[in-house]
Amino acid sequence: MKPKVAFFDFAGCEGDQLQVANLEEEILALLGHVEVVNFREVMKEQSDNYDIAFVEGSCTRLQDEDRLKQIRKNAKIVVAIGACATIGGINSLKNYQDLDDVRRTVYGDKAQLFDTYAARPIDAVIPVDAYVHGCPIDRDEFLNVVKSLLLGKKPEIPNYPVCVECKKNENVCAFERGEFCIGPVTRAGCNSCCVNEGTKCWGCRGLVDNPNENSQKEVLIKYGLTVDDAIKKFRLYFGWQERKK
Amino acid sequence: MRVISKEDFDSFVNSIINDDSLNVIGVKSKGDKFAFGTLESANDLRLDYDVTLLPPKKYFFPQRETLVTYDVATGFVAKDPADLKPTVLLGVHPYDIAALLQMDEIFRDTKSDPYYFEKRKSSIIIGLNIQNMSERCFAPLMGCATIENGYDLMLTDLGNRYAINIGSRKGEELLEKHAKNVKAALARDVQLVGQKKQEIMNMSQQEFDFPTELIPEMLSKTYDQNGFWKEHSEKCLACGSCVLVCPTCYCFDIKDDPNLSLKEGKRIRTWDGCLLEDFAKIASGENFRPTRPTRYRHRYFKKGKYLFDRFGFVSCVGCGRCSSNCLPDIANPVDLFNDMYSEVLDMGLEIDATAAPEVSIKTEGDINYVPKLATIVKKTPMTDIETLFEIKLDDGSILNQMPGQFVQVSVLGVGEAPISVSSSPTQKGMFQICVRKIGSVTTGLHRLNEGDKIGIRGPFGNGFDPEALKGKDLLFVAAGLGIAPLRSLLNYVLDNRAEYGRVIVLYGCKEPREQLFGDELVALEKRDDVEFKNTVDWCPENEVWEGNIGVITTLIPQINFDPEDTYAIVVGPPIVYKFVIADLKKRNMPDDHIIVSLERRMKCGVGKCGHCQINHIYVCKDGPVFNYSDIKGVPEAL
Repeated sequence: MKPKVAFFDFAGCEGDQLQVANLEEEILALLGHVEVVNFREVMKEQSDNYDIAFVEGSCTRLQDEDRLKQIRKNAKIVVAIGACATIGGINSLKNYQDLDDVRRTVYGDKAQLFDTYAARPIDAVIPVDAYVHGCPIDRDEFLNVVKSLLLGKKPEIPNYPVCVECKKNENVCAFERGEFCIGPVTRAGCNSCCVNEGTKCWGCRGLVDNPNENSQKEVLIKYGLTVDDAIKKFRLYFGWQERKK
Repeated sequence: MRVISKEDFDSFVNSIINDDSLNVIGVKSKGDKFAFGTLESANDLRLDYDVTLLPPKKYFFPQRETLVTYDVATGFVAKDPADLKPTVLLGVHPYDIAALLQMDEIFRDTKSDPYYFEKRKSSIIIGLNIQNMSERCFAPLMGCATIENGYDLMLTDLGNRYAINIGSRKGEELLEKHAKNVKAALARDVQLVGQKKQEIMNMSQQEFDFPTELIPEMLSKTYDQNGFWKEHSEKCLACGSCVLVCPTCYCFDIKDDPNLSLKEGKRIRTWDGCLLEDFAKIASGENFRPTRPTRYRHRYFKKGKYLFDRFGFVSCVGCGRCSSNCLPDIANPVDLFNDMYSEVLDMGLEIDATAAPEVSIKTEGDINYVPKLATIVKKTPMTDIETLFEIKLDDGSILNQMPGQFVQVSVLGVGEAPISVSSSPTQKGMFQICVRKIGSVTTGLHRLNEGDKIGIRGPFGNGFDPEALKGKDLLFVAAGLGIAPLRSLLNYVLDNRAEYGRVIVLYGCKEPREQLFGDELVALEKRDDVEFKNTVDWCPENEVWEGNIGVITTLIPQINFDPEDTYAIVVGPPIVYKFVIADLKKRNMPDDHIIVSLERRMKCGVGKCGHCQINHIYVCKDGPVFNYSDIKGVPEAL
């Protein structure tokens, strides 16, 4: 029997599910292996009977924890997809601000009606079995993770920084082009896609397991960034990971 | 020597580009930098370049390369031969030619790498004497700024013309076929080329404070200077840039890439690097080079000492790529070696250049990356996480292994993992592996059933030498899963019992339910020609254990042996060696009477990929079985 697959979203832009919906030919091949029972972006039907749950978005309210826990209970495998779900993502920027101010900025005089707490990745709430990093996720990596899960193997997510892929792709280093790049501490697996296109790495895949952050900050400062800006560079995506330390 | 005008040279380049039988690669600009790439017109050629982002090795040892394709229904097949159009590399600087010559030696050592040589042998190298030298280049210091061999043609820019040195008949033919108005060089041209080469020797902005020949010996003296290595690697990002851009680095990883059918796929190799954190990490989570300073040190030792001892060359050509690609700027070998020289002087040591090592690199056939299809004929669960698999090769051949050797086991679509053979070669027609469910491959293996197919490469490694042990008393010490490789020798000895002296077996595991080969242990205990003792580290309340409780070393005082006549064969997790060996030494066992088998990460099995390396030793090729006297001085071994 084909494993049943469901997609869920929390605080996020749904851009990761859009990447899945945009898989085109591959999605047909994929549907030969799985049955999709929940996917708000492409279908109306819903079901609580599923084996693999893909969860997008970060958890930003206490109430959302119950829903996440229910998903965990229903699913055999929970996969976090996209930076918000895997590392807290840019939602975690608000963790560095006064949360009441944040509510007022977003909801104005209705602020009292809406709860909020520090944004966090879903593994801060429930155990997660696999990750598809990125903002948005890379379609090929999504397929690789799904293939691994279907073959019963642990998806191979690199624990080396983006520099490895940049070097293999023979990119001119972003620093040489006057950019401030966070790739030397960011987990690879994106095939250095942003640098390939001539920009820099923003850190959307989160930190490697054992990053040398001090050295990376020194490098940023050596190339002309202020200390404040270097810290901001780290916060854009690493906000939750930084706080946790 | 010949000369050709620049105009005629451009026509020559365009002519080879238009020759469909050739794949023409040249140096082109990439942003403000340069890179080797497919050449479409002589106009794109930038022979004024200083250094390319990546060295030309990428054409012979690509970043990503298919080794084998597989199909669950039919098994493994070597990938189709590459597009074997000869590659013409145009504008290769002498240091990169020197690097290719080193790569040739490395890739032909012991077993030749067919994927490298199929592309390398047909290549045509058109070298170029350096016109602009990058700021960090120190090729003159490494003797690689100019070169007299390794090219088919060598160009030198003489203003309005190029001088061309002919390096091979192949190069000469290319010139004859495609170039017009090639003239014999005049004495003046020859003199000018000599002058240019002389100028190149003085182009480098880098300087050593010591004679280059001292590098291997300086390294030997500073291995233990932990403060030195820590200080120099403190800013290391472990990003691997230094090794990935290196023209002489050759470490690689191998992984499976299934396609969406999940039934077919490719096994690919990709560049890897010893500076990366997980380089020496095995499935159980053990990392044999876990810190930045040890990995940083390993890189310098590999290039300056280990490869020197084996091949007679320091594996650095001075291109300066590592140095210019390191963001924290800690990878300049010139700075490092100058600091090392001061360190050696501060230590009050006088050093001399190491005598050139005796080099004898032999090639015994090709590496075979294609696994043989095999069938699981029997699957016997032994504990919650360990299973004994009985395996037969489908082509009817026998594995023909020595006790202690290992095989690379493939689970189709999942990957390949090294596993020691657990049965004795005296057991004919099949072999056994005892597997712990711990990584992807071993977990995948556990999901398979009797009758299912797997892939086998090997046997690999040296194995135990049962002949050498004949007539001796044998003390087998196994801890945990260490019983698996040890059993291959134990059973061999038991099958030839009369040829050996006393047989003592000590076996320990964490708790009773983790005991492996329980029935066989009971049988051992009953034999009167074997002395058997076992132990558990602890016994949980709900389990029954009447024997010894305590770690494996608590069994050693319970036995008597004559250290002069006894050989100990010890296999277990890393921690066990330290304590067991210490206790055996206390009982006066000579070093060379202790034999161990080591575990490391292994991808290729033939001493190439670099993962299993402990200092200068490749565990997959020189081991996994070692005489303790050979490795006790090897810092990374135990």
